[in-house]
Amino acid sequence: MSATSHATTLGTNWVGQPLPRKEDGPLLTGRDRFLDDIGLLGMAHVAILRSPYAHARILRVDASAAAALPSVLAVLTGEEVVRVSRPQRGRIPLPVSPQVYALAHDKVVYVGQPVAAVAAIDRATAEDALDLIEVEYEPLPAVVTPEGAMAPDAPILFEEVGSNILWHDTFPYGDVDGAFERADRVVRERVTIHRYLSTPLETFGSIAQFDASTQTMTIWGSAHQPGQEINNVAAALGLSPGQVRMIVPPMGGGFGNKTRPIYHILIALLARKLAGRPVKWVEDRRESLLALCHAADGIMEMEAAIQDDGTILGLKFRNIENEGAGIDFAGRHNLLMLSNIVNCYRVPAVSYEGYSVVTNCCPVIANRGIGKPFMCLAVERMVDAVARETGLDRVEVRQRNFIQPDQFPYDTPSGQTYDSGDYPEMLRKALALLDYDQLLVDQEAARAAGRLVGIGIACGVEPAGSNLSYGMLISGPSQLLSGQGEAARVRMEPDGSATVYTGGIESGQGHSTALSQIVADELGLRPDQIRIVATFDSHSHPYTQTSGNYSNKFNGHDTAAAIGAAGKVREKLLARAARMLEVAAEDLELAAGRITVRGAPDRSLPIAQVAARAYWSLNDEAPDDEPGLEALHYYRNPRTRAPDAQRRLPVQMGFSAAAHVALVEIDPETFEIEVRRYGVVHDCGREINPMIVEGQVHGATVHGIAAALLEEFVYDDDGQLLTTSFMDYLKPSSADVPMIETDHLETLSPWTPLGTKGIGEGGAIVAPAAIASAVEDALKPLGITVSGLPITPTRLWRLASQGGKRYPI
Amino acid sequence: MSELTTISVTVNGEPREGRVEPRRSLADFLRQDMGLTGTHVGCEHGVCGACTVLVNGRSVRSCLLFAVQVNQQDVLTVEGLSPDGVTLHPLQQAFHEHHALQCGFCTPGMLLTSLELLRDNPAPTEAEVRLGLAGNLCMCTGYVNIVRAVLAAADGHAASASTAAGSETAESPPGALPRFPTGKEIA
Repeated sequence: MSATSHATTLGTNWVGQPLPRKEDGPLLTGRDRFLDDIGLLGMAHVAILRSPYAHARILRVDASAAAALPSVLAVLTGEEVVRVSRPQRGRIPLPVSPQVYALAHDKVVYVGQPVAAVAAIDRATAEDALDLIEVEYEPLPAVVTPEGAMAPDAPILFEEVGSNILWHDTFPYGDVDGAFERADRVVRERVTIHRYLSTPLETFGSIAQFDASTQTMTIWGSAHQPGQEINNVAAALGLSPGQVRMIVPPMGGGFGNKTRPIYHILIALLARKLAGRPVKWVEDRRESLLALCHAADGIMEMEAAIQDDGTILGLKFRNIENEGAGIDFAGRHNLLMLSNIVNCYRVPAVSYEGYSVVTNCCPVIANRGIGKPFMCLAVERMVDAVARETGLDRVEVRQRNFIQPDQFPYDTPSGQTYDSGDYPEMLRKALALLDYDQLLVDQEAARAAGRLVGIGIACGVEPAGSNLSYGMLISGPSQLLSGQGEAARVRMEPDGSATVYTGGIESGQGHSTALSQIVADELGLRPDQIRIVATFDSHSHPYTQTSGNYSNKFNGHDTAAAIGAAGKVREKLLARAARMLEVAAEDLELAAGRITVRGAPDRSLPIAQVAARAYWSLNDEAPDDEPGLEALHYYRNPRTRAPDAQRRLPVQMGFSAAAHVALVEIDPETFEIEVRRYGVVHDCGREINPMIVEGQVHGATVHGIAAALLEEFVYDDDGQLLTTSFMDYLKPSSADVPMIETDHLETLSPWTPLGTKGIGEGGAIVAPAAIASAVEDALKPLGITVSGLPITPTRLWRLASQGGKRYPI
Repeated sequence: MSELTTISVTVNGEPREGRVEPRRSLADFLRQDMGLTGTHVGCEHGVCGACTVLVNGRSVRSCLLFAVQVNQQDVLTVEGLSPDGVTLHPLQQAFHEHHALQCGFCTPGMLLTSLELLRDNPAPTEAEVRLGLAGNLCMCTGYVNIVRAVLAAADGHAASASTAAGSETAESPPGALPRFPTGKEIA
């Protein structure tokens, strides 16, 4: 194992222990308070009227009958929204941006797009009122595939853009032409991915209340990025960000999905109309599947310049990303794929051409690993294709092309720097985990008996943290948003316990437990003495525009912010104790709840005694000192920067990795696919809490398996979504998946305070590629190759009955 | 809006009354009228199982049942597994120790389905647990630790049952896990 040296002066009493979570109690006993569990006096309830058409002009909206219904409190239509609010812009400002409001006004561009909203005394009455709203539409031709949307005669969604191509660019890095000239041969692949979503079990929601006397909007809402949400609402309503108070109650899962600015704006507009009265809207499941967000589908064409020994000299990519009818995340999937496009491999020359295309499908937002699952699928399919074409073993092709342990930190062609890793050992360990040699023997016997048994192998990086300057690749250097950081405030209470506030948001990852372990080590306390105020409230929690729970940033950014703030508290505490003990602060040690003079164990003070004086005994203070033991720390990642002249930049900031090995069996008659065993070896650097890490690996991996085999949003040619319940949009049940077998490799990151790297997305990034590989291997006797997801029995059966050799048809 | 109907329901052992519209679901009745928000609504299509409660000891989807249908019936919700909200039921303890929950939104339904499963089959195999929980979706855990927790709770249950059988006098010997109660027993 190659472990980069790691210097830290922190104690490690609690970091590294698999402590049971402190979050669990209220969740287990049904006493937690999710968004929909909040009831406020006089609360109005909202229902949203949604477009039945994928593409249509709105000729007339008449909501008068709905407004007249008893118990209806307010009705909002697109015409009024345009009058009283300002349009949304995408996260990455586009050269020409469509004007998007909380409600459609002149046109609808996807099925489920909000057209009108009703607030009533209860949800059922609000839904009754929707039936009374008359909307006259003029249907227009719809387009649901990105290639269709790029055709010259395609219907145009946003006339102001003039085309369905929101963005197109090409990024050459290194000597790509030279690599292809020197190549022994060129391997070509075309790989596709479909629309799916991790679908948190708790749906999205928003509660807003407007205080007209202070012009303050309070929002209790689902959110991953509070700074973004606050500024979105403030900008749309013409308020200062200081007039928007955002509270994020515990979230029942998120996976990046709970980021739709229009909804908080819509509910806030209704709250302003009903000044004083709280207004609540919680999405139902059909609304969620139809219109919250999807992960982008895409089409990737690739060429690899290779030597006959399997060495990859250069890669060319052309990706078309279907953004749906949204601008919020336009370009993001592309840029995040581009920045991670060499995956685990030492490829010196790469060119990437990306298209971001709008269609009459649901807008795309982030979903666990955004862009990287498709990156990994495409690259790993290409590596298997290289093995196929050269006749080399796929394990050997990977080992030959891996970035080697002694090459870290490793600079990729697009300007990213991988911090640490040992990919050859990681793959060896994963193969050993499932006893690969024995699997091969068993497979041969099974094949001889006519069974279709396949072994899948895939490796992938799991990036952590995003340098948000990457938007400058589209918007140019004037973009306001850049870098990445997090904010934390730590207050040691007069009893010596500590309270922590951060701009991060919890949605099930156990951040409170992990932060407690970290801060306990820093302050010489036990985790149960650390209180994490997990419900974010912008009136108490510090934040920046880059704050929140996204892009796997907890490990390096949230931890650094908390350690920074706790370190400042520790300094104040030791300085105060030094005065009390009449020694120098440098001579003090902090451990197990006491402050002790080094080498003099009899000279010590309980932390609580020092802490109490900081708040009670203000006469202690010298004239320039301040009482209290509280500190704020704004951490920014020092390695973020804007793109250079060659448009290279570090987009993601730390790199975990994993190797997956899957064993599948396919029924030769029905083509039903069973995942019989599944192994993961991952490297996320130091584990703060190994129990939580393992849980993240399990959950993410099952997300990835389900994305490959079960989950699919299906549109018909008219843009109607056919999968609008969990009966059609198939989620995995406990009976559909095996135990996930895991093992761990540790190469410490030199750039995070504890040597940690990201965890939580990796399983979802690598599993789709591993399943594709396993299914292709199982189908080897039939000569079928796999170059697209999802893989379903019906489609496989159809392909095989037609004698087809390439999946999907 | 239509006429309100009066219903009497035993909820977590306590007699409760409510006046409900006939269209009010049991989930809404429990959450909004009884204030028992531990029962979560995940899909309202009867697929995800988050809203599972026990009616007369059998699991039901409270989103698919009308409140008027449980008139004069006995309902157990997650709150009933830990009446004080602090002391954990052995199943809850097993979920805690095995990290069988992440966001926790599916947990109440998982617990009640597991309770019924273990009552009907006190020593299930892994495959039986997986099949028994197949009507409850969890989006976070990949089910690994949920299955482990239920198997561990079954082991504890079996251990406590055998200890109890071996001791004729002590109803709950020191250190033994209590029996898994049904709604009726709690009442």
